[in-house]
Amino acid sequence: MINAPAPLLDVRDLTVTINRDGKLVTALDKVSFFVNPGEVLGIVGESGAGKSITGAAIIDLLVPPLKRTGGTITLAGTRLDQLSPKAMRSVRGGRIGFVFQDPMTSLNPVITIGQQLCDTIQAHLKLGGNQTKKRALDWLDRVGLPNPDVQFKRYPHQLSGGMRQRVVIALALCADPALVIADEPTTALDVSVQAHILELLRDLHRESNVSMMLITHDLGVIAKMADRVAVLYAGRVAEISPVGELFNAPKHPYTRGLIRATPMPSATGEMRLDQIPGAMPGLGAVPPGCAFNPRCFRAEGDCRATIPPLYHEESSAFSCFHPLERVTA
Amino acid sequence: MTPVVNTPAAGPVRRSRGAKLLRAMRRAPGPTLCAIVIIALLIYAFVVPLFSLNPFEFSGMSVLDSFIPPAWMADGSPDFPLGTDDQGRNLITAMAYGMRTSIIVGFLSVTIGLVLGGSLGLIAGFVGGKVDAFIMRVADVQLAYPALLLAMIIDGAARAVLGTERSVGTAIAIVVMSIGIAFWVQYARTIRSSVMIERDQDYVSAARITGRSNLSIIVLHILPNVMAPVLVIATINLGIAIITEATLSFLGIGIPVTSPSLGTLIRNGNNFLQSGEWWISVWPCLILVLFVVSVNILGDHLRDVYNPRLRGRS
Amino acid sequence: MSASDFLILNHVSKVYRRNQSLLERLKKNETGGTKAVSDVSLTVHHGETMGLVGESGCGKSTLARLVSGLMAPTSGEISFPPNAFGNKPRLQMIFQDPYSSLNGRWTIEDIIAEPIRVHKLRNGRTAVRARVDELLVQVGLSAADAEKYPQEFSGGQRQRICIARALAGEPEFLILDEPTSALDVSVQAQILNLLRDLQKNLHLTSLFITHNLSVVRIMADRIGVMYLGELVEEATSEELFHKPRHPYTRLLIDAAPDMDTSDRSLHPIAGELPNPAFPPSGCRFHTRCPFAQDICRNTVPPQKATETGGMFRCHFDLDLSNASIFPPAAKVKTA
Ligand SMILES: Nc1ncnc2c1ncn2[C@@H]1O[C@H](COP(=O)(O)OP(=O)(O)O)[C@@H](O)[C@H]1O
Ligand SMILES: Nc1ncnc2c1ncn2[C@@H]1O[C@H](COP(=O)(O)OP(=O)(O)O)[C@@H](O)[C@H]1O
Ligand code: SF4
Ligand code: SF4
Ligand SMILES: [Mg+2]
Ligand SMILES: [Mg+2]
Repeated sequence: MINAPAPLLDVRDLTVTINRDGKLVTALDKVSFFVNPGEVLGIVGESGAGKSITGAAIIDLLVPPLKRTGGTITLAGTRLDQLSPKAMRSVRGGRIGFVFQDPMTSLNPVITIGQQLCDTIQAHLKLGGNQTKKRALDWLDRVGLPNPDVQFKRYPHQLSGGMRQRVVIALALCADPALVIADEPTTALDVSVQAHILELLRDLHRESNVSMMLITHDLGVIAKMADRVAVLYAGRVAEISPVGELFNAPKHPYTRGLIRATPMPSATGEMRLDQIPGAMPGLGAVPPGCAFNPRCFRAEGDCRATIPPLYHEESSAFSCFHPLERVTA
Repeated sequence: MTPVVNTPAAGPVRRSRGAKLLRAMRRAPGPTLCAIVIIALLIYAFVVPLFSLNPFEFSGMSVLDSFIPPAWMADGSPDFPLGTDDQGRNLITAMAYGMRTSIIVGFLSVTIGLVLGGSLGLIAGFVGGKVDAFIMRVADVQLAYPALLLAMIIDGAARAVLGTERSVGTAIAIVVMSIGIAFWVQYARTIRSSVMIERDQDYVSAARITGRSNLSIIVLHILPNVMAPVLVIATINLGIAIITEATLSFLGIGIPVTSPSLGTLIRNGNNFLQSGEWWISVWPCLILVLFVVSVNILGDHLRDVYNPRLRGRS
Repeated sequence: MSASDFLILNHVSKVYRRNQSLLERLKKNETGGTKAVSDVSLTVHHGETMGLVGESGCGKSTLARLVSGLMAPTSGEISFPPNAFGNKPRLQMIFQDPYSSLNGRWTIEDIIAEPIRVHKLRNGRTAVRARVDELLVQVGLSAADAEKYPQEFSGGQRQRICIARALAGEPEFLILDEPTSALDVSVQAQILNLLRDLQKNLHLTSLFITHNLSVVRIMADRIGVMYLGELVEEATSEELFHKPRHPYTRLLIDAAPDMDTSDRSLHPIAGELPNPAFPPSGCRFHTRCPFAQDICRNTVPPQKATETGGMFRCHFDLDLSNASIFPPAAKVKTA
């Protein structure tokens, strides 16, 4: 990549291990990807693929038995993996905002939402009292809470799930971060509310041009929101492609398997459902060679012997010895 | 047709029971030691009486040997390593007999409490509504009285009804009942709350849709799933029951002297504490504490192991 | 009532009473409680799969428990018209949570054999065991799994075991309450395909409940849509998706993001899901409906039959076959 813009976030060979009774098990195995300025990178995979761990490793939120044991994380030239815990705390919520699946994990139940917003703004932006409050009210309005003055004084439990998630989004964005990591932000919500939250995230992204890492297991959400997509499988990157290419011409057999296994009406309304045999291997049970080989219809001898490296090709990358050819629909 | 799915590689590694036990023991040396102490004391209490005459029947006594101090003291005799009591009983034999009674009483009273409290808890949790409210109100009232006091009241009432002319068996039965009834509430509460969780599980609904009766659902499905925590409590309560019995006997309202428990021995020895014959009460005290503390530590450990919130973390 | 009617729900309602304190009971004030299922009428025919969709809290699981007989309705009747043998059909149910639906203290063999033993479908140990092995293979597991315990299986495999247990009862009617909602997509596809094979081969009549429209579209012959305890529309699968008659159905279809990357528009439904304990007056959907008029706020809409045997509850006969007819009111910014 010669004339590509410098990425905002560059993750290389990120490795995370889990200590299980003294035995080290690899949870993330040399995961590499980057996020360009203003871009939405989707991270997709089945549960247990390592999506949440990837997000948590970037903002140094891993707790034992999880531990980052290798790789570099660079945010706009700063090596996050070398920062002191104190410096990391100011990056968290400042340069990097985050939104989790359960809004209550980010909200303090005994402090009003207005106060929580003010605290975050003050901690990272160093504004005066009046300006802080004005900014907090402004954010409540921007995330679509009716009557911000009233909501300002309310406690998290007085809000519905959708409203809480809006507050969390305001918290994530109020300090003008360069990057927002959203881990399954709509998974706990009903379809009709989910679309609201996605629309809000999209609007705010367009207004502020913040970069986003959108972690989800839902390919529908990916199709509507992401610019590029990283597919994770068993703690490794299977494929990274621009969203259109991913859905229309996937390179990795797992990507195509996942797409075809998702029940969705095709353009003609006809339903199709192709399954992948077997299940994703659990931690510490990843087969030698390509992690996908026991389930892959293209697997050959080399797949069982060697872990395929990440091959870069034009705009996409994939870790497969026998990638799918570009076929027209 | 879908292909056969392989067993997940993530499944637990299968180990033999022996290997599992060894592993568990290596991880918890303290409780393992306690288990060894308990087993040793059990063997002592039940094996020694097989090979010796009962010193509490006339033939076992010899007054000539009374008040002999432990073997390492001056006047000690190598025939009686821990000394003898006022009637010349070898303390090693006497304590084995006493311990045996204590353990039997403790075990039986815990069983009674468990069966009584367990059934009431099962019914309260499963049926719910008014039945539940009634049982739990009774439990609340009973909790207002200390268990020891309650055991004394029940014991006294039973004696009043049965009169003072009683066989040893009746006396033991009364003590067992008193302690058992005094402790049912804890089992009932624990079982009730587990039952209320289990009865709403989908596997119970599935059994009901299949056509199982309430009784077979309780016995076959719910009971096996709620027993672990109460068995742990029962272990801990075994210690408490033994202490309660000892206290009753010490106060003179428990087991008759002709079939002594550790409590009776301590009570007897207490009379000679002032005059310097300390060993008559101190050895039974020590052995009682050793047994009860070991049982409690083991029980606590089992509770941690069975605590669902801690399970799966290791 | 026609000969093909298998299950008939006649104005079925279920109210969950709030647990009242003693004081409240003494004061005798009727707080009402949550009307989780409200006046649902529905007929399921022999051999068909009836689908039921709706957002969480709309009463789907409650309806499933009513039909299965685990609970009695507060009002209305649920009846299975007598079949040729004159007795109530055998039921089985598959639940959403594959972890709570298997007794962890039982072996897989005992779990699957339970309906066989209760209904005395096979006699003798070896015959029962042979049937269990056969069922395990039928659902894609192996006979060797019979000796294991549920803890040794993944979520998808547990759901296969649940299916085997349900089939062991040789049911005439199968109730499936979100059977794949707890599973990953690749495993969900396996389970859905398995269920489709079984539908085809065993001619089962079933009630298939889910919140996922695509899943129900694959599985069901006819679909009912629920909103806040009410059945708001019912039609054949094809018709429901091509020509929905109720605005909520249309909006629900559009709200779930599909995998088309060329059209990235999102279609949220205005407003929030009201608390099911306090449903809005008149048409329950009026707080979110882009077509709502005054009449909708005051008057409960009638049940209207369609010419194709379906039903919908709306004051108006709207043409909703096209997704892009919505007035801009649908963009109201609240959730
Ligand atoms: N705190 C933890 N302790 C042990 N294992 C963990 C922990 N957190 C996550 N894991 C394991 O790491 C793997 C990846 O987890 P995660 O990143 O949460 O997956 P997902 O893609 O579903 O977000 C899973 O197999 C999970 O069981
Ligand atoms: N046991 C119960 N007691 C009181 N309310 C309940 C109970 N079960 C469900 N509800 C309420 O009834 C409504 C419908 O619930 P449910 O049938 O589980 O909906 P669904 O399965 O569609 O999500 C919800 O508002 C729920 O809170
Ligand atoms: S490397 Fe081999 S096994 Fe892995 S995805 Fe590619 S073809 Fe399949
Ligand atoms: S009755 Fe009125 S509010 Fe209800 S769905 Fe029809 S148009 Fe909308
Ligand atoms: Mg996750
Ligand atoms: Mg439900």
